[in-house]
Amino acid sequence: MVSPAVLGLLLFVLAPFALSFLISFTDLSLGSPHPMHWVGTLQYERLFHDPALARALANNLRFALVVVPLQTALALALAVLLHRPGWRLAGLYRAIFFAPVVFPMSLVAVIWRYLYAPGLQGPANRLLSWLSLGHWQARDFLHDPEWALGALMALSVWQGVGLQMVILLGGLQQIPSDLYEAAALDGAGPLQRFRRVTLPMLRNTLIFTALMTSILAFRVFDQVQILTHGGPAGATSTLMFELVRSAFERLQMGRACALTVLFVLIVLLLTGLQRLALRQRAL
Amino acid sequence: MPAWLALLYVWPIGMLVAGSLQAGGLGNYLAVGQRVDFLRLLFNSLWISGWTVVLGALVNSLAGYALARLQFPGRAVLLGLVLICMVIPFEAVAAPLFYSVSRLGLRDTLGVQILPFVANGVSIYLFYTFYLEFPRELEEAACLEGAGPWQIYGRLVLPNSGPVLATHSVITLLSSWGAYLWPLLVTAGPQARPLPLALANFMTTPPLHWGQIFAFGVLMVVPVLLGFGFLQRYFQPGSLTSGIK
Amino acid sequence: MGLKLTFLPEGSYNSQVQAAALAGQLPDILEFDGPLLYRYVWQGCLRPLGRLLNDSARTNLLPSLERQGTFRGRLYSVGVFDSGLALYGRKSLLESVGARLPSRPEEAWTIAQFERILKDLARADEDGQVLDLKLNYQGEWLTYAFSPVLVSAGADLRHLDRPEAARALTLLQEWSEHGLIDPNLDDAAFVEGRVALSWVGHWEYPRYAERWGGDLCLIPLPNFGIGSRSGQGSWNWAITSRCGSPRRAAEFLNFLLEDAQVLEMTAGNGAVPGTLSAIAKSPLYQKGGPLRLFSQQLLEGWCAPRPATPAYPFVTSVFQQAVRDIVHGAPVKKVLQSAAQDIRQDELDNEDYR
Repeated sequence: MVSPAVLGLLLFVLAPFALSFLISFTDLSLGSPHPMHWVGTLQYERLFHDPALARALANNLRFALVVVPLQTALALALAVLLHRPGWRLAGLYRAIFFAPVVFPMSLVAVIWRYLYAPGLQGPANRLLSWLSLGHWQARDFLHDPEWALGALMALSVWQGVGLQMVILLGGLQQIPSDLYEAAALDGAGPLQRFRRVTLPMLRNTLIFTALMTSILAFRVFDQVQILTHGGPAGATSTLMFELVRSAFERLQMGRACALTVLFVLIVLLLTGLQRLALRQRAL
Repeated sequence: MPAWLALLYVWPIGMLVAGSLQAGGLGNYLAVGQRVDFLRLLFNSLWISGWTVVLGALVNSLAGYALARLQFPGRAVLLGLVLICMVIPFEAVAAPLFYSVSRLGLRDTLGVQILPFVANGVSIYLFYTFYLEFPRELEEAACLEGAGPWQIYGRLVLPNSGPVLATHSVITLLSSWGAYLWPLLVTAGPQARPLPLALANFMTTPPLHWGQIFAFGVLMVVPVLLGFGFLQRYFQPGSLTSGIK
Repeated sequence: MGLKLTFLPEGSYNSQVQAAALAGQLPDILEFDGPLLYRYVWQGCLRPLGRLLNDSARTNLLPSLERQGTFRGRLYSVGVFDSGLALYGRKSLLESVGARLPSRPEEAWTIAQFERILKDLARADEDGQVLDLKLNYQGEWLTYAFSPVLVSAGADLRHLDRPEAARALTLLQEWSEHGLIDPNLDDAAFVEGRVALSWVGHWEYPRYAERWGGDLCLIPLPNFGIGSRSGQGSWNWAITSRCGSPRRAAEFLNFLLEDAQVLEMTAGNGAVPGTLSAIAKSPLYQKGGPLRLFSQQLLEGWCAPRPATPAYPFVTSVFQQAVRDIVHGAPVKKVLQSAAQDIRQDELDNEDYR
């Protein structure tokens, strides 16, 4: 019964990863007629001293540090606001916030490239100018070193919050209502009920969604590839972008595979942290 | 407050729809139809996502069920393997996989965009945790009547897996429908290309015409939105949390 | 004829060829973008044309195409068409600021003249954005369009650390910083009349001519030092080394290079015909034709071919990144120096592509 799944995982996940691991110790260049050499840890040493990679990792980290809390908080707020049994509009709102989730990132990127158009004709600039009563200075969001990463974060949150919201709503529905009633009998106000009942009961779901989002933050690729190519001057470069560019544009398989191994190590580390966070409650 | 946020959320979608109708009106939609074989692309995307979801449901639920219920040698090792696969994202194996797929000459087919995504660590784990909490009594009754594990799975377990099947379908559908990197690597032409990649291509192939690009975008999400609208009555948010532990 | 032809698409075609080569699935005849030739030859994918190509076809080939198809002394590919860059201008706007209108490469504006004209145009323009560099295009465009600037300044893609390269690309950065360049997200800057000058290839002629008619003029790219230089090169055809019947494949190439085929193909895509005799017959590109500038640039060598190196995929990736960074304000010298280092390191890693 397990064999089809095991076969699939072996063939398409474990074997390629093992291959990556091996290639990361070589100088394999895609299509090169020269024989491949074992180069030991050279690729890793180079990555270690590569300022472009350091920049990319810092961007991933920034992305995670901003997007994970922001998106989780927003999703939680929406879930709590929309969790009103019997409210007719809840379904409509849920559909609205969920809609961007079904937009492929390539489409999200298309829409936001238009929204971020430079100059005051650009919709985002126009909106900000209107909100600030004309004090806003028009920017070229995607090409401004100070704004580009933030611009990518904004569209990622826009696209990602819906799924997180729906998962949290599911978690909310599973909280037995007598817990709230008991808390209300104890004289707890809405805020206290949120802190004493909702948050602890949602803890695992929250950790799960936060983990999911942080792994996504280290996988960011499509929007970078389509909108900024890692620019301006590395301001939006990410680990995945570096990896794909190495492998398929610059044909440096050895380097790309070393990046792959590094990437998996980071994801393992994040998952380990989640396990730790989950275990703490058991103590 | 939800109203304000919803407005902010709808704004980009409104821009998309309004943009698809400006400078050319409905003609933009016709132009898209003339410039690309939209039905072919839609078929590719539906075919790829559909089979990935269906085959994945079968393969992963079987594995999840076996891991949760059957005792067999190597079970613990397999469970560990699934956990490891859960945290290796596809992007991490894209480069070596591309290398091997190319060696085997399997590029530019629909199959090569389906098979690597069928067996999935996350899905197996979702099914596994769901079946751990599945009431044993029913199975035991069936067992007494002489049914083997395959019959129990087929007649009893799978038909009662609604919520976790929904979770699996939503997660798989979203990632499969939006796939960009892998199709970029393995498709050479429109015959096997899915929609998101075709859109990215459309957007960078002159003449660039925003109206047409947006019309392409609208055409691309309408089927999914309809699909989700249709499924909403079957798909409750609660089902998405099943298996999250 | 029993030959297998495969058309590889735009975009990720190099990965595609690499993949096909890995799989041993290369077709008999391959059509690909010119500057990738040197890598494919180095990889052993292509066979020299040698005597397979008719002498008449060879002598009739545009010199620029012969150069593009030659690596380490042997000819591997032929092109049915070539390409070119120019500034498309609005005569009325340029004349209103008193600009001289050069029509031949030897008369190209110097940088000082060009900048004077840009500034004068900007003063008369509503938003000051008067130049379109097609920054909405992606990928290879950046190398195709701006590596000629390096050559015109006295550097090239393999010598990015020369001061001439930094000087030339600094100019580009200044135009961008002074707000002279239209970002052109909608690809309509020139046809909507938002800019007076558009820096682009032959392929925009039909659209621009239809919009502006007699007001449209064709101007060579400015002279950054050693003379105006245009981009050149295009998709070309080669016989792969695993082709079982090279003679028949060559017959096909010889057939493609007949005037009738060349003219039909270029009537369709608007490109510069790839043979001397076809140019003489082309109403657009013959002497006195409205697009003569493009054919003249190719015939007289006012062009900057992309470098003949197997490292080309790497070089162009690095240079594209450098141009994007520089246009959006990164320190020019630093960017170019690190690009030059990356390119050198790649050569060392590949044993100098011997």
